[in-house]
Amino acid sequence: MIEAFHITDLASKVQSGALSATEVARDVIARIDRHNGRLNALLHADPVRILAQAKAIDDKRARGEVLGTLAGVPVAIKDAICTKGESTTSGSKILSGYEPPYDATVISRLRAADALLTGKANMDEFAMGSSTENSAYGATKNPWDNTRTPGGSSGGSAVAVASRIALAALGSDTGGSIRQPASLTGTVGVKPTYGRVSRYGLIAFASSLDQIGPFATDIRGSARLLEVIAGHDAHDATSLNVPIGGYESACDAAIKGLRIGIPEEYFADGLSDDVGRSVRATLARLEREGCVLRPIKLPHTRFAVATYYVIATAEASSNLARFDGVRYGLRKAAQSLGEMYGATRDAGFGREVKRRILLGTFVLSAGYYEAYYLRAQKMRTLIRRDFDAAFKDVDVIASPTAPTTAFKLGEKANDPLSMYLSDIYTLPASLAGVPALSVPCAIGQDGLPIGLQIIAPALQESRLFTIASAVESACAPAFPAEVQ
Amino acid sequence: MSAPAIDRTRVLHIAKLSALSLHENEVDQLASDLNAIVKYVDELAEVDMSDVPPTTQVQFEASLWREDEVVVGLTRDQALSSAPQVEHEGFAVPVFVEGAS
Repeated sequence: MIEAFHITDLASKVQSGALSATEVARDVIARIDRHNGRLNALLHADPVRILAQAKAIDDKRARGEVLGTLAGVPVAIKDAICTKGESTTSGSKILSGYEPPYDATVISRLRAADALLTGKANMDEFAMGSSTENSAYGATKNPWDNTRTPGGSSGGSAVAVASRIALAALGSDTGGSIRQPASLTGTVGVKPTYGRVSRYGLIAFASSLDQIGPFATDIRGSARLLEVIAGHDAHDATSLNVPIGGYESACDAAIKGLRIGIPEEYFADGLSDDVGRSVRATLARLEREGCVLRPIKLPHTRFAVATYYVIATAEASSNLARFDGVRYGLRKAAQSLGEMYGATRDAGFGREVKRRILLGTFVLSAGYYEAYYLRAQKMRTLIRRDFDAAFKDVDVIASPTAPTTAFKLGEKANDPLSMYLSDIYTLPASLAGVPALSVPCAIGQDGLPIGLQIIAPALQESRLFTIASAVESACAPAFPAEVQ
Repeated sequence: MSAPAIDRTRVLHIAKLSALSLHENEVDQLASDLNAIVKYVDELAEVDMSDVPPTTQVQFEASLWREDEVVVGLTRDQALSSAPQVEHEGFAVPVFVEGAS
């Protein structure tokens, strides 16, 4: 049933009483039963809790109260986001059994909008990965082809939406962890401007880059989600105190005359022919509809992967120091405190997390700080300047979201560097802190979805929704036959 | 700048700084992985950035101080609710002061 709806339609039906939240909840539970065992999109879903939320929403309507803008909309939550009294592991064994004593700000806002939280979505451990294979709880499979990854790190969130276990999801994007899995699963994924959405209650990976954002079945739904979760929060000192909103109405704005920058560096070696062709065809269509295409240069793009892996790992090595077996999660018994820390972290962290903690500690260590960390921070300045210069001449930038369609499970699992390179088109916007989204634009020759990335200047999310709506109306996001 | 070789000794030193006990059989693989990544990261040295200021944050406005208001925080029971080991209404840890019992 729910697979027939987009987010805004379903919310209207529940608000009007044409559909009860309980009916939605029952359907969600049935879809989880049918698909989740195979896909492993959700790590934790409690039917009792889903039905109780639905009843509360229906009771609220029965009392004559007006329901919120996400009334009854099933939303899956990346397991890095704290939900009060409900398992939150960040995909790691070290947080096995952890039940936070508080809700993240985004969760409070979803609840206030009468959303139906369906459960916690699988992810690469501590969001470190691009395939969801680094989860301590098993890989998530792509519903378009179960031998392929859904991308990552928010792979479970993407698959929950792609398989219509939920119509929306929250993910977090540090270097592409929303946009890349959205591209690989045929869903919409938005990374807002850094500071747009509160990070309070998001388990930190790299604090200067992390940003929570929505996945949705369509652009309008993603815009509505962002309107709910965005906005200043006193609990997060980096959250911006600036006006929000207008995202949904931006979906109806005209695109004629908008200037789209096409960065040559994003159409170079490593881009699959099929993806390149589909993205160019989409851009040509936008041009026919009145947009102006301009070639631009983002000359420091090729340094983004190196810059990102120094900055993100440095911040991670510091952030992950809090997992020490004392206040929550796993503890390995030992004779001394130091041994207890070491044994707990050895047993609790997977290989990629250890690799990144070690790399981050190395680039911050005496004698190497200037050669690596400081140099990466300087390159981050040059990457930001690339965008500043480009946005003097264009309103948005468009590119492929990922260089290929979904890759095979195991294909890059033993080659960290090649895995890192799958984020090459999403990393620069993260480093610059500017907003970006991925919208499905075609199905490739291999039968797998292809995403178009659109990047806007800071705080100009509305432009993303305007252009993406035009892309969507020419190429409506499909979803895989297997889960219809 | 040439890549410093990350050998076993360095991996073990970084691991100590990171409070990570590594298994003997993973040290060589980690050294090899880290060397490959650091070699790749060395491309940052190709660009002269002596006059470029570092970016430490991308905030577009100065962060504001919040009001210094007293709010209700977690109760003791809530704060201890996920602790692996609790003693005397606190987080229990192994002995870490010489001579303490």
